[in-house]
Amino acid sequence: MSKRSRLVLILVVIGICFAFLWPSVQWYFVTPKEDQALALGSREKIRDYAHNIAVEDLKALVSAAKTDSQDPLAETYSVLITEAKKNYRALKKPVPEAWTARSVLAAFASESDALSYLETENRERILALKKTQSDAVKLGLDLSGGMSVIIKADLDAAAESQKEAITDMAAFRSDAMAQAMDTLNSRIDRFGLSEPVIRKQGEDRIYIEVPGAADSERINSIIMGKGMLAFHMVDSEATEAFLNYYAQNPTRTFDAEYNLLDASVIPADTKVLGYYKKDAYGLDERVGFLVVKKEVGLEGKHIQNATTTRDNISGSPVVTFVLDSEGTQIFADLTSNNVGKNLAIVSDDKVKSSATINEAIPTGQVQISGGFSAEEAENIKAVLRTAWLSVPLQLENQQVIGASMGQQAINQGLNALMFGLAAVLVFMLVYYRGAGINAFVAQVLNLFIIFSVLSALKLTLTLPSIAGMILTIGMAVDANVVVFERIKDDLKLKKGRAASIASGFDHAFWAIMDSNITTFIAAIFLSQLGTGPIRGFAYSLAIGVVSSVFTALFVSRLIFDFNTDVLKKKTTSISWRVK
Amino acid sequence: MKKTIRFSKAFLPMVILSSVLIASGVFGLATKGINLGIDFQAGYIAQVKIAPTALAIKYTGAQSVTIELSSRGIDLVMTGVGSDNTTYSYSYVDYPTLGAFAAAVRTIDGIELMIDAPESTPLQALFADSVSLSRLSSSKVYRLHFLPENAPAVSTDDIRAALVSTPDAAVQVVGDPADRTFQIRLKDDGSDPAASENLRLGMISNLVSVFGESNIAVVSSDFVGARFSESLATQVVLLVAATLLLIWIYATIRFGWDFALGAVIAISHDALIIVAFIVWTRMQFNSTTIAAILTIIGYSINDTIVVFDRIRENVKLHPELTITQNLDLSQTEILGRTIITTVTTMLAVSSLFFFTTGDMKDFALALLVGMTSGVYSTIYIASAFISFISRFRKDKGIRKEKPTLVLSKSGEVV
Repeated sequence: MSKRSRLVLILVVIGICFAFLWPSVQWYFVTPKEDQALALGSREKIRDYAHNIAVEDLKALVSAAKTDSQDPLAETYSVLITEAKKNYRALKKPVPEAWTARSVLAAFASESDALSYLETENRERILALKKTQSDAVKLGLDLSGGMSVIIKADLDAAAESQKEAITDMAAFRSDAMAQAMDTLNSRIDRFGLSEPVIRKQGEDRIYIEVPGAADSERINSIIMGKGMLAFHMVDSEATEAFLNYYAQNPTRTFDAEYNLLDASVIPADTKVLGYYKKDAYGLDERVGFLVVKKEVGLEGKHIQNATTTRDNISGSPVVTFVLDSEGTQIFADLTSNNVGKNLAIVSDDKVKSSATINEAIPTGQVQISGGFSAEEAENIKAVLRTAWLSVPLQLENQQVIGASMGQQAINQGLNALMFGLAAVLVFMLVYYRGAGINAFVAQVLNLFIIFSVLSALKLTLTLPSIAGMILTIGMAVDANVVVFERIKDDLKLKKGRAASIASGFDHAFWAIMDSNITTFIAAIFLSQLGTGPIRGFAYSLAIGVVSSVFTALFVSRLIFDFNTDVLKKKTTSISWRVK
Repeated sequence: MKKTIRFSKAFLPMVILSSVLIASGVFGLATKGINLGIDFQAGYIAQVKIAPTALAIKYTGAQSVTIELSSRGIDLVMTGVGSDNTTYSYSYVDYPTLGAFAAAVRTIDGIELMIDAPESTPLQALFADSVSLSRLSSSKVYRLHFLPENAPAVSTDDIRAALVSTPDAAVQVVGDPADRTFQIRLKDDGSDPAASENLRLGMISNLVSVFGESNIAVVSSDFVGARFSESLATQVVLLVAATLLLIWIYATIRFGWDFALGAVIAISHDALIIVAFIVWTRMQFNSTTIAAILTIIGYSINDTIVVFDRIRENVKLHPELTITQNLDLSQTEILGRTIITTVTTMLAVSSLFFFTTGDMKDFALALLVGMTSGVYSTIYIASAFISFISRFRKDKGIRKEKPTLVLSKSGEVV
C-alpha cells in the first residue's frame, strides 16, 4: 500500500470515528440537564408535555392578540414566527417587519392549526434529543447506578397449564414469551422511568435495566406483580366531570406518576385510568381518560377462551369470549343491573377497551362488536388471552447499585485509565526515545477508536469495559515493541534507516497478527460468557485488539515514513545504544 | 553476538517447580475448596452502610423533580409544564455545607426538607441509598446519609447478631472499619420462589429493628437465583475448553502441531497457576476472575508466538542446530522483548490494581499473576515441551531444511 493511500485510510478512519462519537458529545456536553430529563421520559409523558406546553403558549399568545399587545414576542415563539413567515409568503401577503401576537396568529387558518403546529414542534424537538441519547455512549449501571434484573419466563409451567389447547409447541412458546415481554414492557413504560432497557436473552430470559437510582421494592412489584385483567364499570358522569376539570387544569391535575394531585376531583369509589390503543408501531398510545369504579366487576380469571370473527350480516369484526360457570353467574348479574352503561376491560391499570352493555348476558357467551377495526379486534383478543395464559415469571438475578457507588466507580476507572496510559507512555518514551512518540500517538488514537466503535455499536460503557481499554493499551504497546525491536535488530546490522524500518515492519507483521488473532479468539469466547459486565470487557478487548493492529502497523509506520521522507531524517531515535 | 543462555538446562527443575505449584493448587482445591462468588453460589449479597440520615427530601407538586449527586455537586432537575424547566445546581464549592444547601433548596416550591445533622456538615460527605428512586415524591422520602467522624464503631458481630432471621449470614467489613460498611451475604437454597424479595426484606427488617430505619443505607445489592448460577458454571467449562481448542487449531495451522501443543500447554499452565493463586489467597472465584483467566489464555500466548516466529527463522539461518539449541538461541535473542512487552502491559494493569477496589482489584491482581506466569511459561514450559517432544523425532530434532534465501519486500537478501 502506498504511503499516500495509507494516509488517506487513516484520515478516513479518524473521520468515521468522529462521526460515531458526535451524538455522545452532543448529549453529554451540549444538551442541558432539564432537556435531558425531558428526553429520558416515556413517550406518553413527552406527548403530554408537548401538548400542555403548546396549549399554555397559545393561550398566552391569544390573550396578547386580544389586547393587541405590541410587545416583542418571547423566544418560545420563534418557531411559530418562522412558520408564519412561510405562510405569509405562500399566501403572497407582505411579511410584517415586526411580529406581534396578532400578526403571527393571522398567518394560521385557525387557532387549532397553530396549536398543532406548536405541539408537533415541541414534540419533535424532544424526540430528536431522545434519538441523540440513543446514539450516544451510555453509562452502564455500575457507573450510573441503577438496577438490572434477569427474569426467567417459566414457559414449561405455562405449557403445562394449557396442555390440551396446544397444537404447535414452538409457536406456543414464542407466543407466550412475546406476551410476557409485552406485559413487562407496558408495565415498565407506565412507570415512566428514564430510558429502561428491556431485552430478550436466550429463549426464555428477559433482561431489564433501569438506570439511575431505583426503588427496588416498587420496581419488583411492577415486574413480578401478577398480570391483572378485570372488567370495571365506567362512571360516565364522573368521566365527563373529570375531563372538564382536566381541560381547565391540564398542568395541575397529575403529579409525575399520573397520580391525582387533588383526589376530590372524582368520587371516592372511582379511579382515573388512561384509555390506550396500539399506535402504528404497536406501542400503547393513550387516547383519553376514563373514570371507572374501583370495585372489580368481573375478574379476568373467569375468561376461558377468546376468538375473533366477523359479524354475519355487517361483516364488521367481532370479539367473542367464553366464561366459566362462576363467571357466567357474576357476569349475568353485572350486566342485568347495568344495561345501557359502559364496561371497561382493564389490564394492568390501563383501559384497553370499553363497550356498552346492550342487554343482560346470562349465557356466559359474550360478544363485543362495533366501532373497531379488525386489527383492534386482534388487540382486544390478545388482551383477553392474558387472563388465562399467564406465564409465571421468576426473578433469577437482580443487581442494585447506588448512585454514589457509580460515581466512585467512574473516578476509579478514569484514574486507572489516565495513570495506566501515562505509565506506559513514559516507559515507551524513556526506553525507545523518539520512536516512543509513535507509540504515544498510536495509543491515543487507539483509545479514540475503541470509544467510537463502542458508541457506534451502542454498547454501554462499564467499569469492566474501561478495564478492557486499559489492558488493551498495555497489549497494544506490545505490537509497537515487537516492531521497534525488529528495527533495532536491523539497525545493528548496519542497514540504513529506511531499510531497517521497512524490514522491521515486514518481519514483525506475522508475529503481531498471530498474537492478536489468538487474543481476539479468547475475547470472542469471553463475550459469550453469560453476564453483562464481562461482555463489556470482552467487547472492548476485541475492538481494542483490532484497532491496535491498525494503529501499530499503519499509524506508527506512517509517522516513521513521514520523518524519513518529509523531515529527511537519516538516523533513528529508537534506543540508547543503537543509532 | 551475545552469549547464548542455556535455558534448556533448567527445563527439568522448572517443570518440577510448576508441577508442584499446580499440584498444591489442586490439593488446596480439594481440601479447602474455592471461595465461590455470588455468580456461582445462589444468594443475596448486599453492601450496607450503617450511617444516620442527614437530610430527607420530599416533593409535592405537578413537576417531575429528580436529584443527581455527582463529584461536582448536587443537581435538582425540574421538568414539566407550569414552571420553566430548570436545573438547580448546587456545587460543593458554592454550597460547602448542609446548612447552605438546605437554605437554598428550601426556596423551591413544593420541596420539603427534614434535616437531622449539624448545619456545618460538609455537603460533599453526604451519600445516597441505592434503594430510593432519584425522582422525588410526596409519598416516599429521599434520604441522604452522613457518617459523623466520632460515630461509635459497629462490629461484624453486631451485624450478625442483628440478623436473627438468617443465622447463616456471612458478614464482612468492607474497607476501613471506621466507614461502617459491611458486606452481608445470604444463601438461597432455591426452595423459595420469591427468595430475592424475602431475603432482602428479611435483612432490612432485622437491621431496622436494631439500628433504626434512618440509619441504614443499602449501597448496592446483588441477587443470583439458584438456576442461574448452575447454567453459568457449565458455560464456563465449555468456554475455556473451546477457547483452548480454537487457539490450538490456529497455532497448528501456523506453527505445526508440536509447537501448537507446547503453546497450549503453556497457557493452560498459566490458567492453572491463577487458579492455584485464587485457591490459596481465598480470592473470590466469580465471573470476573474467569474473565481474567480467559484473558490470560489469550494474552500469554503472545510471547510464545514471538519466540516461535524467531525459532522458525533461526531454523533457516542455522540449520545445523538441534531444536533445543535453537530454542536457547531464540530465547536469548528475544528475552528482552519478552520482558518488555509484559512489563508494559503490567504497568497498565498495575494502574488498574492501584485505583480500583473490590472485584476489579481482584481481576487486576489475577491478571498480574497470570502475566508473570506467562513470561515464565514462555521461557520454560512451552520450550521444555517442544524440546522434549523433539527427542522422539526421527531426525533427532535437526530439521534438515535447506537454507533458502528469502527476498524481503524491501528488496534485500535477509
